[in-house]
Amino acid sequence: MLTKLTGGRLFDPANGRHGEVADLWLHDDRIVADPGPGATPEAVHDVTGRVVMAGAIDIHSHIAGGKVNLARLLMGEEHELHRFAGHACGSGIATPSTHTTGARYIEMGFTAAFEPAMLGSDARHAHLEMSDIPYIDTGGYLVLGNDDFLLDLIATNAGQAAVNDYVAWMLTATQSLAVKVVNPGGINAFKFNARTLDLDEAGPHYGVTPRTVLTTLARAVNELGLPHPLHVHGCNLGVPGNIATTLDTIQAASGLPMHMTHIQFHSYDTAGDRKFSSGAAALAEAINRTPTLSVDIGQVMFGQTVTASADTMAQRHTAPLAHPRKWLAMDIECDAGCGVVPFRYRDNSYVNALQWAIGLELFLLLDDPWRVFLTTDHPNGAPFTFYPELIRLLMDRDYRLAKLAEIHPDAPAHTTLGSLTREYSLTEIAIMTRAAPARILGLADRGHLAPGASADVTVYSDLPDRRAMFERPDFVFKGGRLVVRDGKLVAMAQGCTHVVRPGFDDLIERRIARHFDERLGLPIKHFRIRDTEIRHGAGPQLHPCQRRELP
Amino acid sequence: MTFHPDTLCPFCGLGCGDIGIDRGEAGISARPTGCPQADRLFHRSAPVPTDGRMGGTPLSIDDAIAKAAQLLGASRAPLIAGLAADVNGVLAALTLAERIGATVDHERSDALFRNLAVLRRFGWSVTTLAELRNRCDLVLVAGPDPAAAFPRLWERWVAPEPAFVPGGARSIIFLGGDPLPETVQCLGGRIETSGLSGEAGQDLTTLVGRLRTALAGRAAQNEPMTALAARLRAARYAVVAWAAGLFDGPQPDMIVEGLVRLVRSVDGTTRCAGLPLAGADNLIGANQACGWRTGFPLRTGFEGGAPLHDPERFAWQTRLRDADVTLWISAFRPALPSFTTGGSVIMLAPPEMTVMPEPALFIPVGTPGIDHAGDVFRTDGVVALHADALIDRGLASVADVIGRILAALDRPTADKEAAGC
Repeated sequence: MLTKLTGGRLFDPANGRHGEVADLWLHDDRIVADPGPGATPEAVHDVTGRVVMAGAIDIHSHIAGGKVNLARLLMGEEHELHRFAGHACGSGIATPSTHTTGARYIEMGFTAAFEPAMLGSDARHAHLEMSDIPYIDTGGYLVLGNDDFLLDLIATNAGQAAVNDYVAWMLTATQSLAVKVVNPGGINAFKFNARTLDLDEAGPHYGVTPRTVLTTLARAVNELGLPHPLHVHGCNLGVPGNIATTLDTIQAASGLPMHMTHIQFHSYDTAGDRKFSSGAAALAEAINRTPTLSVDIGQVMFGQTVTASADTMAQRHTAPLAHPRKWLAMDIECDAGCGVVPFRYRDNSYVNALQWAIGLELFLLLDDPWRVFLTTDHPNGAPFTFYPELIRLLMDRDYRLAKLAEIHPDAPAHTTLGSLTREYSLTEIAIMTRAAPARILGLADRGHLAPGASADVTVYSDLPDRRAMFERPDFVFKGGRLVVRDGKLVAMAQGCTHVVRPGFDDLIERRIARHFDERLGLPIKHFRIRDTEIRHGAGPQLHPCQRRELP
Repeated sequence: MTFHPDTLCPFCGLGCGDIGIDRGEAGISARPTGCPQADRLFHRSAPVPTDGRMGGTPLSIDDAIAKAAQLLGASRAPLIAGLAADVNGVLAALTLAERIGATVDHERSDALFRNLAVLRRFGWSVTTLAELRNRCDLVLVAGPDPAAAFPRLWERWVAPEPAFVPGGARSIIFLGGDPLPETVQCLGGRIETSGLSGEAGQDLTTLVGRLRTALAGRAAQNEPMTALAARLRAARYAVVAWAAGLFDGPQPDMIVEGLVRLVRSVDGTTRCAGLPLAGADNLIGANQACGWRTGFPLRTGFEGGAPLHDPERFAWQTRLRDADVTLWISAFRPALPSFTTGGSVIMLAPPEMTVMPEPALFIPVGTPGIDHAGDVFRTDGVVALHADALIDRGLASVADVIGRILAALDRPTADKEAAGC
């Protein structure tokens, strides 16, 4: 099918277009060049004066897998309150069901979202769930760094090459797109009853420090040539004073590419009577001068949500603050863990208000929109449905100041937010939510509007109320099909699953197989996820790796 | 004769992946595993009847599916139960339930809801089988021996030497229940018992209460639970395991809550985690799929288009009394459920099942991991496993049959989105 969008203002930063008026042609599931005067499009949409962008991409959103499904169970009250009729629609806001997740994303013009914490042991579950999310592309980041096999490799000095082979084998077996490390070594240490673990503290049993785990994995990811740098959820999440750990973590990367995730939760200082203040300025300065770093924010927004994380150690510290007062924790398969703690962020709480301000401060102090990403760490900081409100806060200073005046009166004094005049432009929003996510994940045919790109396109009215604008696009095309019109779903579409498959020396498989037999009690063949298992046989979309030689 | 080593067993929920299967002209059988369930349920003959039956009279699958669609489409109070299928089968059943306004439940969900009731109101701290195997130095088994439902639990997850316990010493204490003879044979002298069943005032609820009192430091010094509490506190990684489906007596969920609170109080200072065991016939997978698809656990209905959950009213035994049509799905085992219904029953089950009296409709289906590939969840709720097909006996999967029923119901085309989501 040939579709023409006429007269729109194209915000396509990957191709240097910042609002230029141009027609856009979609042929089946691809964007194509103007086919010339003889072409007869089957559908023509006049989008004169409207803003045209590629479909948005959320690089960090907990949408599928064990902890998400457990969170749904724990958040029964939310689901009772928010039930949706319609085809397979389900329920929920902070922990929406699969169809609801896809519907809410596509209604906002998002055409991809990535599950950033897929445990190897839970990968098949996560893929089954992702296959049931319509409309959007998905993929999973494999959690490593607390798995006993890796810690044993490091502790026994097996060498970087063996680690690289293991990481590549695991990525392949679990059909993953990237590698994430969560509280490196800390989740494992908690299983030995260590309640804290600092960056340079040797963990129990293995005697390996988080710094070593972090640098070993960062090297592996770099040498395997994965498109996405190591995705890092650092030590001491949520702990006042953790800004020092975060700055040390940057230093630990020692020049290797690294993506630091939900940095708002890692930017806390200890100034003031309450011993809780913003460390955003220092962190932003460090990130601005380190071009190998990228970050996403994990913005907090006010209201009821639930925190769901593989970081059992951090979640145990959060548990006493649970609202409603219930929480769950799980140790998982010599692999990692999970903790789920319902949480309500209140604007009249000094700490929550400051968390909100710190996130915004980071957005505004980080000067390269190619290296900062719009996330709420859904659902941990807020449900992803808050993105339009967050975009308005970034694009509209007056609105931001009005909101700043509503929060706990002592909080503004401990951040620089009130003095920041920056307002994000449409180009910067397009970079942060389209071009940069595609680039940082290595998705060559996503996040832009050049011929050959996937026909994932969102069209907005250029409204002064940016929340209203980004809440309800006029048109959303997924793979060339018009699926949202005037904010309403009009057709069904399916996305695909993105994976990488770096090569490895299969000698490592013998050692892994022994681990499976002796520790996990499962023959290794039952662990591997085959292509035919992905999206009901459709298989994954592969992205190339550029393997680098060991130094 | 063909040999299939390391075959995955989909039946009890332990997910054993080491079964040896012989396949020949006459069908398949398992080499002895020590598990009565696997030995029995992997014994399947070929060929088998592949036609459907209506009131006992054979009819083609096409006609059976058309009749099923007619019955389900006209139903005013449909129930989809049993729900013993692989994940794809369950998802297809959920799609059908939403289409016709049915409620869904799994045959074995009582055990699950005894646990879920506590999870949903309180939360819990739990662990998985590999952590039990490698980290645990003290297993406290609450109530009846779970091996009754999970035959190879001790052999595979407790008998092996733990990787992270110095010296490899592991204690196993049964609280308020007797170990089965097979368990004694497997674990030998390591088993200790406390509060054995049959003694007065030794019901499990009371025992758990006494142990919690001892953990809180409020028990008398000569109370036996004081010593047990001290051992839990001294353990490096204690695991409290229970099979709620085996609890008898009133309010079994209160026993579960006592155990969950007990775990949490010990876990405040040393490591301690629960291991709630439930899950034969992909019970856990059915609940997981229902959870991600609807946002609710099983016992959810679709009256009025949106999902509605009610753990009492939508329990299948209760709902059965009101249902005018019941679609009973039992793909794993040819075992007849004990129920009587006032309405019509459409049964999807293995062809080996003998049904008396005959249901309104019987449609033979394959077993996941035998006749077709399928995904099942392990009892600990994390690991999903893909069971491959072993033999082609011409039997469709539950997902295929329900897919054809949906097509016959003239479902809106898949590329159309119903408004109002």
